Amino acid sequence: MISYLQGAILGLLQGIAEPFPISSLGHGVILPRVAGWDIHQNDKFFLSFLVATHLATALVLLGFFWNDWKRIVGGILRSLKQREIRADDPDAQLGWRLVVGTIPVGIIGLLAEKPLRHVFASAPSAAAFLFLNGVMLFAAERLRRRAADARALAAMEATADADARLSKLTWRQSAAIGTAQAIGLIPGFSRSGATMSAGLVAGLDNEDAARFSFLLATPIIGAAALLKIPDLLGPDGDGVRGPALLGAVCAAVTTFFAVKFLLRFFETNRLTPFAYYCMAAGAALTVAFAAGA
Amino acid sequence: MSGSRTLPLLAIFGGVVLILIGIVYFIEPAHSLPSFFPGHVGTGDAAYAHHHVKHGIAAVVVGLGAFAYAWFSTGPAGSAAGTDTDAGAGTGHSPAR
Repeated sequence: MISYLQGAILGLLQGIAEPFPISSLGHGVILPRVAGWDIHQNDKFFLSFLVATHLATALVLLGFFWNDWKRIVGGILRSLKQREIRADDPDAQLGWRLVVGTIPVGIIGLLAEKPLRHVFASAPSAAAFLFLNGVMLFAAERLRRRAADARALAAMEATADADARLSKLTWRQSAAIGTAQAIGLIPGFSRSGATMSAGLVAGLDNEDAARFSFLLATPIIGAAALLKIPDLLGPDGDGVRGPALLGAVCAAVTTFFAVKFLLRFFETNRLTPFAYYCMAAGAALTVAFAAGA
Repeated sequence: MSGSRTLPLLAIFGGVVLILIGIVYFIEPAHSLPSFFPGHVGTGDAAYAHHHVKHGIAAVVVGLGAFAYAWFSTGPAGSAAGTDTDAGAGTGHSPAR
């Protein structure tokens, strides 16, 4: 079972690691092993606990971008009424790009989440994938600088409004960025890291890639948590609801500050520091686990 | 039948089929699913009474996506256009095109 202290620590970690491109799932697998806790990725009580922390994360993301979501949903409804996604309606353009980006990963998540979780549930594999996550972030920054079409980039950055810039993504790019989230089903790979990386490769700057990543995260994390709420409320949640509630509160607090920090951070910074962290931590932990630590 | 009408009609047909498949997943346990459905198991399997709700949700979501495709591609912008291109940046096109 999970103690209240463990619940609080895991909640704080989830809130930070979910929006940061460093894999919350990977850290959730590695931390119990490093701390010597008897908590494993596939334990039913741990899965029930994760429902609460993920729901808290999704609710904070929804609240953080509430005004944006009101505009986006309004844009989607408007376009359905008009039977047209008008070029001069960035809310509808962005909204449907989020839909197009969410459907593929939703399908993949529904069908592949359980098998992937069983295959890659160990701390050593999470450490190895954390290293590869760092490589992915590093490569995305390099690729962006090399491959970015100078004219397209200049045109995008010349557009003052962030949503208008995001609505210039093609449908294929939106689907590709959204589908990249699926790699986050593997503990060690970061969902937000994958979407930010794909966004950079598609020509977005770091700030827009982060914003698109957070908007994409809200429905997918929220839907996944809502779908599993019966696990938390059923017999699998017996004895874990108290720590889960505490963990959810902790996750909510840290998610709020993490998102606030990252949106400001990416105005002027890149993914590179997170890439170095993931590569260093992943390599060190892989060696430590191999040595029997 | 013109090419511009064929795809929306196929999308509507596909959407209806997918939503029906989704309903079957919701109401039938794994052993009662048609044998060609992913997730079908025999009555001897431990998961024979399991309902594949996730498969059902996936089918319904894709079905709704097909309806959205048909809805936009037969709207004012969809009907006016002729070519099938990657609807890109701010063109005002539907995702279907």
